Amino acid sequence: MNDVKNETNFQNDTILEVRNLKKYFPIEKNFFGKPIKFLKAVDNVSFKLKKGTTIGVVGESGCGKTTLGRTILKLYDADGGQVFFEGKEITKLSKRRMRKLRTSMQLIFQDPYSSLPPRMTIGNLISEAVKVHKIVPKEKVTEYVLDIMQKCGLQPHYYDRYPHEFSGGQRQRICIARALAVQPKLVICDEPVSALDVSIQAQIINLLKELQINDNLTYVFISHDLSVVKYITEEIMVMYLGNVMEHGDTDEIFINPLHPYTKALFSAVPVPDPDVKMNRIILTGDIPSPANPPLGCKFHTRCKECMNVCKFIEPEYIEALDNHFVACHLYNKEVMDNLEKYDQEYLDMMNAKEEENEK
Amino acid sequence: MASKNKHYISIKESREIIKYNIKQMKYYESLKKRKANQDEYIVPMKDSNNLIEIDNLKTVFFTDNGTVMSVNGVSFEIPKNKIVGVVGESGCGKSVTSLSIMQLVQAPQGQIIEGEIRFNSDSLQTNNVNQKLGYNIAKMPTQEMYNIRGKDITMIFQEPMTSLNPVFTIGYQLDEVSFVHKPGVTKEEAKAHSIEMLNKVGISMPEHVYKSYPHELSGGMRQRVMIAMALAGNPKLIIADEPTTALDVTIQAQILELLKDIQKKEQCSIMLITHDLGVIAEMADYVVVMYAGKVIEKGTAQEIFHNPLHPYTIGLQKSKPLITSSSQKPLYSIPGQVPNPINLPDNCYFKGRCNKCCEKCNGKYPKEIKVSDTHYVSCYLYEGSEE
Repeated sequence: MNDVKNETNFQNDTILEVRNLKKYFPIEKNFFGKPIKFLKAVDNVSFKLKKGTTIGVVGESGCGKTTLGRTILKLYDADGGQVFFEGKEITKLSKRRMRKLRTSMQLIFQDPYSSLPPRMTIGNLISEAVKVHKIVPKEKVTEYVLDIMQKCGLQPHYYDRYPHEFSGGQRQRICIARALAVQPKLVICDEPVSALDVSIQAQIINLLKELQINDNLTYVFISHDLSVVKYITEEIMVMYLGNVMEHGDTDEIFINPLHPYTKALFSAVPVPDPDVKMNRIILTGDIPSPANPPLGCKFHTRCKECMNVCKFIEPEYIEALDNHFVACHLYNKEVMDNLEKYDQEYLDMMNAKEEENEK
Repeated sequence: MASKNKHYISIKESREIIKYNIKQMKYYESLKKRKANQDEYIVPMKDSNNLIEIDNLKTVFFTDNGTVMSVNGVSFEIPKNKIVGVVGESGCGKSVTSLSIMQLVQAPQGQIIEGEIRFNSDSLQTNNVNQKLGYNIAKMPTQEMYNIRGKDITMIFQEPMTSLNPVFTIGYQLDEVSFVHKPGVTKEEAKAHSIEMLNKVGISMPEHVYKSYPHELSGGMRQRVMIAMALAGNPKLIIADEPTTALDVTIQAQILELLKDIQKKEQCSIMLITHDLGVIAEMADYVVVMYAGKVIEKGTAQEIFHNPLHPYTIGLQKSKPLITSSSQKPLYSIPGQVPNPINLPDNCYFKGRCNKCCEKCNGKYPKEIKVSDTHYVSCYLYEGSEE
């Protein structure tokens, strides 16, 4: 509680700030057990989040969305960068201090079938954390839990039932009730609706939105379903192989996507109308292995507008439009002005490589 | 708090159920193993332009808690060279319908107890009244089914990882199709055929993939291999059971494009099963909407998407947020959940969740009402509007 030196120039309405966050997983170790090769699951991610808003993190599988969520919560230790929660840096906090903060940061998992212990009743599940953190006095716990259950659309007689008696949608409500029972300020939703049917999905999305308005919650909404993300978020961050490709306001990004990857991603979403024929950008090839990402821009192997620069220089993360960040050479004036120079550089590099191979 | 719960059954009841189940399962299994005369399972088709005609199909599962009516009187047709989409929530019986066509329902618990699945095979001629003959898959003995399954009707499953055998190479598994369905084929011919199939599905290095094992390929590649395998027997019908659910959006777009391409080139029909309305709108010519084991609405894609009639179809379309709209209103959501498939009541299964429920709904399950030549709906609301 005395990390004054780590205080940022903190604005009152910013609840979460992430600066150059990195999480590398070792995948190869040398003889002495020292890691020599890393999988860069999250690489240099920065963003700010205002209180009561929602940020969406989208991307394909393996792009590091889930790792980002877990690193923010300090379920994984970050390998670099900082996370500020309400102006306090939490990346360096000890476990004991972190435990106090845990109540204000909660996580909702993707799979409601495996995230509830099967041997506990619903009442116990929800009240467990309430008792541990002493949110309300002992004698009021049951009352409090019933209140939370009602808020999440669960009937009071479910209190003594076990998770296996519920359907997927109900279980997800239980998970949400569990997360909200400790009165969090920030909730990280890791694909909360992907495992549910469409009609149930709408119920859960509406519930999440309603709770946000009532309790002034802040969400980090991780999902691969773009239509859901568009509906629920104010800001969107597009990730690809651990890097942020584009970041900006939801409406702005959907109307005017800048990065070629974002464009392709958005055009790939099927629209439920047989007459709408979108001119679809179909990406060729697969996502490269995150253990062995390509040099330069990580997207260049699948990019339609790939230039020689992209193949060896990683694009800078720049503010292309007002409050709209993108990591692409196409929007970097300095690079675009000197394209010939970079082409030459690339050719030289290739020649040098060939010579080496011949030798 | 929960007093006497309906979820539990007494030991006596449970014993009775098990006894009944064993009797039933033995009976239906013996039917499959019998040596049947061809006349028993060759039936005339209603329309020679249909590839598959499903008529009042009932597939049930004999479980320890009672009989589950997974598919409860489903009828629809798959015309030649068309894509038919089947939508519905999980547990509505769409997968079981497709497995019934393949005779792959988990036996002995799962059995087709009633109805016909007529398959219009080229090997059969017309009968003396000039009706095209077809096989009735529902009555076919297992031995005869081997000639159709994997050759005329093939299937692409949801999980490409679990449907490929991890201990054999892709090539081995692809060649197998040729060995089984083309007697007397040599190893070289089989390999050439397999590589041709891999080429067809847009795999860039077929020779390399031929030699590799499933774990070496990515999800999209594996699904391509599955499609190649489905194509190897020159099928008339490909059943695609949620082919893109396990894949990312960009890969999904690739696979859907490929399926469309193949359907045009190979002149086959596709039965596409999915829960994603977007995928259906994009691909299908005809749409079948299922709910709790019944077809509640069917018609052309235009009819279903521009003029949905059944309250469930309407709700399903409204509850999905659209990427093209930017409204912030609360989403429409269908209240409640899918009913328990054991001991379903005789009234409309959607009654409890419907917002247009009327008095008639307390009566029997509504009949299928013909709204136009292709559009059918099972709902009392449209009783007067019959054609």
